[in-house]
Amino acid sequence: MNDADATLLEISGLSKSFGKYSVLADVNYRLRKGEIAAIIGPNGAGKTTFFNLITGYHRVDSGTVRFQGRDITNWPRHRIARAGISRAFQVSNIYPRLTTYENVRQAILAQEKKTLDIITRAGGLAKQDTLELLKLTGLLSNRDTVAGILSQGDKKKLELALALAGKPEMLLLDEPTAGMSSEETHETMEMVKRLNAQIGLTILFTEHDISVIFGYARKLSVLYQGTLIAEGTPEEVRKNEEAQRCYLGEEV
Amino acid sequence: MKNKTLLAAALFLFAAVLPLIVTEFWVHVLTEILILGLFAASFNMIFGYMGQLSFGHAAYYGVGAYTTGLLMVKANVPLLVCLPLSMLSAGLCAAVLGYFCVKLRGIYFAILTMAFGQLVYYIIFQWYSFTGGDNGLQGIVPPEFLGKAANPYYFFTLIVVAIGMTALWIISESPFGYTMRAIRDNAERTEFIGINVQRYMHLNFIIAAVFAGLAGALWGPFNRSVAPDLTNWQHSGMPVFMTVMGGPFSFLGPLVGSTIYTLLMAFVTSFTEYWPLVSGVIIILVVLLMPGGFLGLLNEKFPFLMQKLSGAKETDEQGRQEP
Repeated sequence: MNDADATLLEISGLSKSFGKYSVLADVNYRLRKGEIAAIIGPNGAGKTTFFNLITGYHRVDSGTVRFQGRDITNWPRHRIARAGISRAFQVSNIYPRLTTYENVRQAILAQEKKTLDIITRAGGLAKQDTLELLKLTGLLSNRDTVAGILSQGDKKKLELALALAGKPEMLLLDEPTAGMSSEETHETMEMVKRLNAQIGLTILFTEHDISVIFGYARKLSVLYQGTLIAEGTPEEVRKNEEAQRCYLGEEV
Repeated sequence: MKNKTLLAAALFLFAAVLPLIVTEFWVHVLTEILILGLFAASFNMIFGYMGQLSFGHAAYYGVGAYTTGLLMVKANVPLLVCLPLSMLSAGLCAAVLGYFCVKLRGIYFAILTMAFGQLVYYIIFQWYSFTGGDNGLQGIVPPEFLGKAANPYYFFTLIVVAIGMTALWIISESPFGYTMRAIRDNAERTEFIGINVQRYMHLNFIIAAVFAGLAGALWGPFNRSVAPDLTNWQHSGMPVFMTVMGGPFSFLGPLVGSTIYTLLMAFVTSFTEYWPLVSGVIIILVVLLMPGGFLGLLNEKFPFLMQKLSGAKETDEQGRQEP
């Protein structure tokens, strides 16, 4: 398919500084549709900021973000979400006083544009989709638990479920497995991989766990002090001297 | 759901029978409980459901009261026509003022709502030729078919308030209502699931004002007059007190709060004029001893009872078994 080679995300000259601290400087990045890619780098390299700029969490200082050919730079967050970019946060960002079920249903109703409905009882809506997504993310047994008291690992799963509910074209995962047991980590990443294979969901994630990075990403980019210093297949990056010196050398 | 419908029906029947038992004085008190209960419930759409404190909600109550008052006194418009018009005028007022309020959160939201409330108050207070200024409007009498006795107007109020509360209940249980809870819990996440949070907050602000306007519209004919005090910040504090007292996290909390507050006020003022002193002490005790309000306390002490009544475990029916 021609479509599979199409560039989904194209970032050019992206820069951001907070006060006098430059966090990202002139980052250029391309991501093809259907890719599983990882951004790696030491703490403070700018990985989360990179995600924050793509999703509209922070305003871009300079540079452009193009998604599916459209310039989405500095769009409001909800419009970027609607355009097809979903995001799971590093620190789980859920609805603590709603049940797990209600959390997921809320995100699904938002995706289905039903949230302006003031007459229908929410309790009867989106049952099937909500249950399916709970099952997919392994949260079915916790469906009536108030989300605020879920375990850290389950919160991360819920975080992922909320992001998936948006039926995104591209999924940004900021350390998706932080706080999970190694078993949960494996399950979660396998699920992400399956989604990529089955529905062609494009995935961009950050991660510190070397086994996750090299086990799942097909493209790696190394971010170091706000600039991209290396990019390529996992093998290429593993051999890249600069990448080794700056980041991988510490851990491999 | 069944439990809740039954509870609502039982409450309505109870409220319908009460005036046949008590004296006229208490029928007046009951009418006041209902009107202020609707006012507080509309306030709680912003406080309990959306998670923002409005300290200027009386502005919309007052706009509703004055709309009905002016239409009845100056143009002889029938009360039944005045009610929807009061809702409309309060809603329009909130559409303009709320637009600015929802740009802010927390204490800043509270301060701006209060500032706008005071603005409405001063406009009504100063505009003698139109609103009667600090004299207010006198001679707002209920329509003839309700007569002059206390009971008919009470029943009329009961029906209108029941309709208003039902509408608020339906909204609070709708996808929109859950979006409000989502914004309360985590506004940031709500943006990232593709919802324009500010726009939704604005809509909810208008909805809350519309029902405050309806409550206000009932006040004039009940009290035979309206005064600018209805819109000032002290009056905005009333739904806050009532909701905190009754429990902001239950739909009926504000109504329970209005009942306790209004009954106490009627009781205490019958033998001392220091009601504000007493109410102040009560507020302090409520905040210190039962932060979830009266219903919150019940929920804590008798969780089984409250689950049955409020249907807190109703999520069961969401998927566990097909209806």
